[in-house]
Amino acid sequence: MTPKASWLDSFVDGLPTRGWFQFLSRHVVVPYWVWRDPKPKLPGGPRPSPQPGENLQRMMNLVMPLKDPSPMGRAKAALIVAQNVDEIFAGLDNVGTVHNARFLLLGNNLCMLSVYDGDFSNYIRDFIATIGSVFDAIMDQVEGGEEVSPTEQKIERFIDWVQAHDLFQVPDFPSDLFALQDQAMRRTGKAHGLRSLPREYILQLHANPDVSLGGGYRAYPGVSAAQIRKNHGMGW
Amino acid sequence: MESTESPPPLPATPESILKILYRVDGDPDRRPVHTVGISATGFFKASEVAPLYCRAAHFQPHRGGHPVTVRFSNGSGCKDPHDSWSDVRGMATRFTLPAANPAEKTYTDLIAMTLPEFFSSTPDDFQEFAWAARPADYVAERPWRKFLDMLKLMMPLRNPYPNETISPDLGAMNFAERNDAAKPGVLEAASIGAPTCYLRAAYHAVHTFIVTNEQGVQRPVRFSWQPVMGVRNLDSNTSNPKPANGDFYLQDQLRQSLITSIGKDHPRFTLMMTLGEAGDALNDPSRAWPPHRTRILMGTLSIEEIVNDPEEWEKISFNPGLLTDGIAMSDDKVLKFRVETYKLSSKQRNASPCPFSGATIHDTQG
Amino acid sequence: MDMAKLNDDEIGNVQGNILRGYTLPAVRHMILRISDSAAARAFLAASVTGGNPNVPQITTEQRIGAKLPKLVTAFNLGFTYQGLVALGLAPGDLASFPTEFIEGMTRRAAKLSDFGDSDPSNWPSPYDQPDHVHVIATAYASDDTTLDSIQKQVEQAFDLRGIHKGYSLPNGAVYFGYKDGLSQPRFLGFHDGAPSRQDPTRTEEPDDPLGTILLGKPTRLPDLKFGTPQPKQLGNLGTFNAFRVLKQDCFGFEDFLTSTAERLRQQGVDTRLVGVESVGLTYPDLKDKPDLALREVIAAQLCGRWREGTPMQLQETLRKATTAGPSNQFDYGDGALCPVGAHIRRNNPRGGEVVQRIANFTRRLVRRGMSYGDTLDLANPDDKERGLLGNFIGASLGAQFEAVMCDWLNLGLHSPEITGSNDPLLGANTPETSWFDLNLWKDDDQVAMEKHRIYGLPRFVTTRGGAYTFLPSLSGIQYLSGLTG
Repeated sequence: MTPKASWLDSFVDGLPTRGWFQFLSRHVVVPYWVWRDPKPKLPGGPRPSPQPGENLQRMMNLVMPLKDPSPMGRAKAALIVAQNVDEIFAGLDNVGTVHNARFLLLGNNLCMLSVYDGDFSNYIRDFIATIGSVFDAIMDQVEGGEEVSPTEQKIERFIDWVQAHDLFQVPDFPSDLFALQDQAMRRTGKAHGLRSLPREYILQLHANPDVSLGGGYRAYPGVSAAQIRKNHGMGW
Repeated sequence: MESTESPPPLPATPESILKILYRVDGDPDRRPVHTVGISATGFFKASEVAPLYCRAAHFQPHRGGHPVTVRFSNGSGCKDPHDSWSDVRGMATRFTLPAANPAEKTYTDLIAMTLPEFFSSTPDDFQEFAWAARPADYVAERPWRKFLDMLKLMMPLRNPYPNETISPDLGAMNFAERNDAAKPGVLEAASIGAPTCYLRAAYHAVHTFIVTNEQGVQRPVRFSWQPVMGVRNLDSNTSNPKPANGDFYLQDQLRQSLITSIGKDHPRFTLMMTLGEAGDALNDPSRAWPPHRTRILMGTLSIEEIVNDPEEWEKISFNPGLLTDGIAMSDDKVLKFRVETYKLSSKQRNASPCPFSGATIHDTQG
Repeated sequence: MDMAKLNDDEIGNVQGNILRGYTLPAVRHMILRISDSAAARAFLAASVTGGNPNVPQITTEQRIGAKLPKLVTAFNLGFTYQGLVALGLAPGDLASFPTEFIEGMTRRAAKLSDFGDSDPSNWPSPYDQPDHVHVIATAYASDDTTLDSIQKQVEQAFDLRGIHKGYSLPNGAVYFGYKDGLSQPRFLGFHDGAPSRQDPTRTEEPDDPLGTILLGKPTRLPDLKFGTPQPKQLGNLGTFNAFRVLKQDCFGFEDFLTSTAERLRQQGVDTRLVGVESVGLTYPDLKDKPDLALREVIAAQLCGRWREGTPMQLQETLRKATTAGPSNQFDYGDGALCPVGAHIRRNNPRGGEVVQRIANFTRRLVRRGMSYGDTLDLANPDDKERGLLGNFIGASLGAQFEAVMCDWLNLGLHSPEITGSNDPLLGANTPETSWFDLNLWKDDDQVAMEKHRIYGLPRFVTTRGGAYTFLPSLSGIQYLSGLTG
């Protein structure tokens, strides 16, 4: 027989919705676990993978904190992007592997979101090779930008910087997070109970609050930008 | 079920697996899992691109579509329906293949479930999983333990459903702790919930099959059914979902949906076929393929009406190995094992051999 | 000083085998761990200055045309990141190296398609402990005895973790039977002066700026500079090497040619349309053996060269298969006979159209390789390991070796016609999903081409080990020898 749920059961079941318990969780429980079992901020961008499908139509969610997030600073960033649209578009055309790209001002950040084919480093390197100085003007507006500018002269550092500011992509299969974190911490053979998965997420999202949830939906996966252009008679 | 039994020896056999799978609240004359189900008929229309990938008869255009019978089921081996419980659901589809002589009908089956992956990658692992996950007494987690879980930022165990006394959940969870391959399936199964209707769930055939086209080109693929009406579960925010018609609503809901759609807009599923790529786990059903693989729309299934003789249809056996020219099994060991296990299960419960008698269970194409 | 050129001091400062390859027929790669850093540093100091009878001297580059005695031995050194750590390089200087070098080859496995059998977890010793691979010392000579004595000297200062013995095969071939190493970059400011018609390095490709191969020099992209590791004495005129132990499935490759030829016949492909009758021009013994000739056509299309070296691209028609010889003077222009996915075209598309328009000629690599394993007898199959000891050298592992490996060799991103497929010879293929498009004539007029897709290519080449190394200049090695701590 199933024992009847007592008042205590109902009380405990209801805890997560109670203000005081949420306060306790936020200010005591989570900080305790952050101290006890800290997780590294997992690297940004899609993970390398042998499957062509994983290497086509990949996402970049580049979040660059503005030095001056006031309306004046935002307007400056907006104008720099607007004034350089020709350079940026021509650069992306020459890179040849980009499906779409756009800039956003979001929160206190200037964001560049794009969908590209192939290796991330190649994409960024080729992009900088064709529009370098324009991107330097953008980097002037963002925190830490001066350390990797001029981008053409510091291309390896710039690629690393972009990767560090590209959002971590949470795995498509949630329990893969165990292995990703173990790998980053160079831990092997650790058993993980499935019920501890929420903790893994909480700790990662503590280290890494802005993330991309999964690799995203694709209507026509497995094809490159050049293949779409070719098959629609647009030339590549 | 305090158990002092020891697990059956390996290697796993269809006999040993079936023995583990039958639950005390099951019925030896019915299926060991997916025990509660209902069948409906309809038709499948192949898409215009389907023949480019597969030469099988049901993927060729056919006036009016290919007749199909579909059995929807609850995954549990409990003989009583518990539709509102979180559980995997099944969708077994039998395609009637066009024949010159209607008396010599042949068929092919596609067996799918709401989990996108299986619990293990080999029959032996599955036996160990099934043993670990054999239903055990299920009692609510004590409040103080739950509280402790919350302090550990862990998922507390769910409360038992009304009248639930035994459950595989705990054993499955413990098994998954030690076996990474089981993690995705167990996690998904634990949170899968209950659909509002059998027509509102996506079903996955899990295993890799090899399709061959007219030119002889072979491709490793996996199939999924997507409901055109969309996926919809009972509200998961309430811990004890209470649908209008209690714990037995899925069959009524299906009947109702089919009655209201008669002659009009039949409920539909699209059949999506995902192409495997280099580096994919082709023969490992415990690993789903990410949603970034090329997907081909192979056709649309329309469900028309409940079968005339539902009782009789419950005796029919489906088999994931009932294939036809143009579609063959991969080297997935679990798939091959399932073929034998389904056959044995069918025999044990005296299921209708028809239309099996004349059909061949295809093995990998030479 | 003209940065784009190399002066005599600089030439003498660059390690040998980088700008030009040696012609010595035997190689020994010694995989070393530094357990006694003082002994290792003393070895480095002596290897730079020379004159120590117990330490082999580093071989340097020489000005082309310099009248010098012919090399009888050569000796060079490469350092992994862990090696630089073991030598005591300062943390700030270590951090100035590029990320891919810091991470090392094993952690870049996914980018290099080292998965499955090629996964680093399957690599045998010494690569099962990548953190213990510190230095790769390479000696060249004509005979094993000389190499043995060099090895003995090296063992005095380092902990020898493993060795690889390599040999050049007859006629400059590698296993699979292709003549190899035909196309190598020529460097502006080093290989200067127009090559004569007979010069084997003559090519239609533009000469490459020195920054392609030497750190601190200008690259092809005028404003883009690869970062030179710090301090300058260490980084300048150095370069990076991807050392790879690549096992080749020689019998599997020949079997594949046979089975593909059979399948083409079964499919009723008119063998005249792939130019089978032309094969006899180069291979007179195949003249009246169409089955064997068809295998050679397939081998040529997979590689982009006939096995004796003639590039497919140079054939005016398939009937004139082999008049050109192992030339290098071609580009992928219009009406290309060479399949887009062929090995040499994929890895070096030259001036042909590529999706990444900016990338033409920017991913050039220097390749220095020798074969390893017992003599191959195709008539008597065995299961012995054979393969290639490959060195893929360039100023940026990320922009050259890795860029080619992940976007071109695998994936085929540079042409929409091959995207989604892997290199037929070196790629990470699985038979269930692989494909390759052969070029066929549409009809007997031999004017227009069409494609014929073949499937089921297995992985012919498996990675068995390797490491990313830094090949410093002599000043750089001297700097390392002076470290303390």
